[in-house]
Amino acid sequence: MTTTGGDLAARLMGDMDPELLDFLKTKVNTFIKWDLVRFFHENPHSADTAANVARYVGRDVAAIEAELGELVGTAVLSRQRIGDMAVYSLTTDAAMRSLIEQFVHACDDRQFRVKAIYHIIRGMR
Amino acid sequence: MSDRVQTGIAGLDEMLGGGFLSETANLVEGAPGTGKSTLGMQFIYNGIQRFNEPGIILTFEEFPQQYYRDAQAFGWPFHELERADKLRVVMTSPEVSQADLERVGGRIESLVREIGARRILVDSLSHFERLARDPIDLRRIVYAFINALKREGLTGLLTRESPALIGESSTSDEDIAFLMDAYLMLRYVEIESSIHKALLVLKLRGSDHAKDIRQFEITGSGFEVRSRFEGREGILSGSPRRMAESFVEAFVRR
Repeated sequence: MTTTGGDLAARLMGDMDPELLDFLKTKVNTFIKWDLVRFFHENPHSADTAANVARYVGRDVAAIEAELGELVGTAVLSRQRIGDMAVYSLTTDAAMRSLIEQFVHACDDRQFRVKAIYHIIRGMR
Repeated sequence: MSDRVQTGIAGLDEMLGGGFLSETANLVEGAPGTGKSTLGMQFIYNGIQRFNEPGIILTFEEFPQQYYRDAQAFGWPFHELERADKLRVVMTSPEVSQADLERVGGRIESLVREIGARRILVDSLSHFERLARDPIDLRRIVYAFINALKREGLTGLLTRESPALIGESSTSDEDIAFLMDAYLMLRYVEIESSIHKALLVLKLRGSDHAKDIRQFEITGSGFEVRSRFEGREGILSGSPRRMAESFVEAFVRR
């Protein structure tokens, strides 16, 4: 009997907190978004342009600009216009901040990380 | 109410005639590793713990995690102070902070109101140099920035890197020092094959201040100002000489 990719994924994700699973599926569904969420979680008062955030996380601005936009779209980050600049910062919504904290802490667990990585890779195919 | 904002660092407050003047911008310049950020963190920490004056750290380079770690090494629990709404460590860039302070109800203004901040550490002013090549433009930008901090009722300690490790520096933006209410210099000094650190208050607008050059050290509990350099001159050159040697050079060997 063979196990399909779908079965394996279902088994891997079965015991994951549904809220975190949804967060992973709908919000942090790329490795760049994962980096960005972690950065803003660790620096909750940071507010900066895409170019500067790219420097902080060690990525190319072209690689993160669209991802920042998607995180704004899913209410993880907020975007403000300051002068002629678009400035990104962590959402002030307490429920979302709590979910982000839950996610970052869950990532301390290797098992969770492996599952999250598997899910992201699967989503990218 | 006292018009002095004490740093809480014994020796330094005495050199400053009691502390910085309230709602002023105060520059601390020094080479890498001299202790500018430590002095700034201690100014913020003492403000919170000893004088009930919440503070903000505005960083343009170091990650907040670095400040938490460095502060913890001195026994200053910055994480706890943030949770208690006494401190905010904000990582941003000069261009964003400048534009933010120019508008009404900006992020920094909101943070000041949120925690009732009275002090700010800006680490470091050197990063403003990338906003303007022209010294006049740079001076205009920094002038607007420090005026905005004063408008918010903040007493600021602003650090600036000095390019020279030993001896006098030749910064291209000396104009900036004219904008500041106080100007403190931290210097490395070589004496008998060992490196010491020197502190000098070059300027304190509107107040008398100590004119001597003091030794200081960074110990496990932070910045400690020690005695003045006795019997030596040329401290700021980085390689001081004994007074007697210079006396002989000046008068005997003629």
